[in-house]
Amino acid sequence: MNDDGLDPLIHVPTRLKIVATLAALPDGDGLSFTRLQDMLELTPGNLIIQLRKLEEAGYLSSEKTRNGSAQKTTVTLTSQGRAALSAYTKALRDLLGGLYTEAQPEHEHRRT
Amino acid sequence: MNHTSDTAAAGNGGTFGPEQAAALLDQTTQRARRKFQASPPWLLVTRAVLVLAALGAIWLSVRGQHPYRGPTAADIPVLVGFIVVNFAATVAVRRRATAGVSGRSRFSQGEIIVLVLAFVATVLAMAVLGAAGVSFAWYPTSVLVIPGLAWMVLTAVRGNWREFATGLAIVVIGIVGAFAGPAGSWAIAAVGLCAVLLGDAAAIAWQQRRA
Repeated sequence: MNDDGLDPLIHVPTRLKIVATLAALPDGDGLSFTRLQDMLELTPGNLIIQLRKLEEAGYLSSEKTRNGSAQKTTVTLTSQGRAALSAYTKALRDLLGGLYTEAQPEHEHRRT
Repeated sequence: MNHTSDTAAAGNGGTFGPEQAAALLDQTTQRARRKFQASPPWLLVTRAVLVLAALGAIWLSVRGQHPYRGPTAADIPVLVGFIVVNFAATVAVRRRATAGVSGRSRFSQGEIIVLVLAFVATVLAMAVLGAAGVSFAWYPTSVLVIPGLAWMVLTAVRGNWREFATGLAIVVIGIVGAFAGPAGSWAIAAVGLCAVLLGDAAAIAWQQRRA
């Protein structure tokens, strides 16, 4: 943790965007590498580096599948990753006081 | 929360503060939810207007019929056009929203089979009733009952209670319309389906706004 209680793995703009985007999906749902890259407008190299760091921390899992000659990579936010984002959001809220009222994580938000 | 550009959020060489992080988190979450939304409010409102126009036009053409003869030959292309446009738009938007997504956001093969079987069962029921002398034109909203029930079952299994309510409302429209008389049932279908779609759009927009 940083001095301000923010998880340094998430408190980087690119990784924060990755985690927030994956957290917008229902719990357990995955997203293809290409769609994630398209949504975040990142280069493949940059995205791979950030995904690897998050995966090493256990915040997301990746699965490679082969369809003919094409290989598809799907990344999923783990429960540990969701918990880390929740803790990060709470830390932000504590730091910013009442100014910040971020949304509930998707597994709480999309009950319906 | 104000929108923040990536460069600003990144600090552009400076520090990435909590305010910037909160703005970026909020902006990214909202954008992702919009992009993953398979039934965006704008589409639901468009469908509501279309269903009101298409079925309302049929009601206008049949309400003066004495005796009732059903939709005219000119009405049929309107009805078919509405169904085709509605189906195509829904499928296209859903495919775009769920592109690259795996898991429960997508319909499973079993769920797709249930939906297809519900529509096949509806067509068969119409054919059987038609052969028995009970034309669909006399009870037009009855076609909503089987797909509505199928949707209720699927969404109940998923625990999606907003969509379950939509399915229930569609079944209620189907049943109420059957008692409204042949011409009146077209009006019930037009107004009822429009209201259901607008309600669904409002519920989704409210959820997004609350987030």
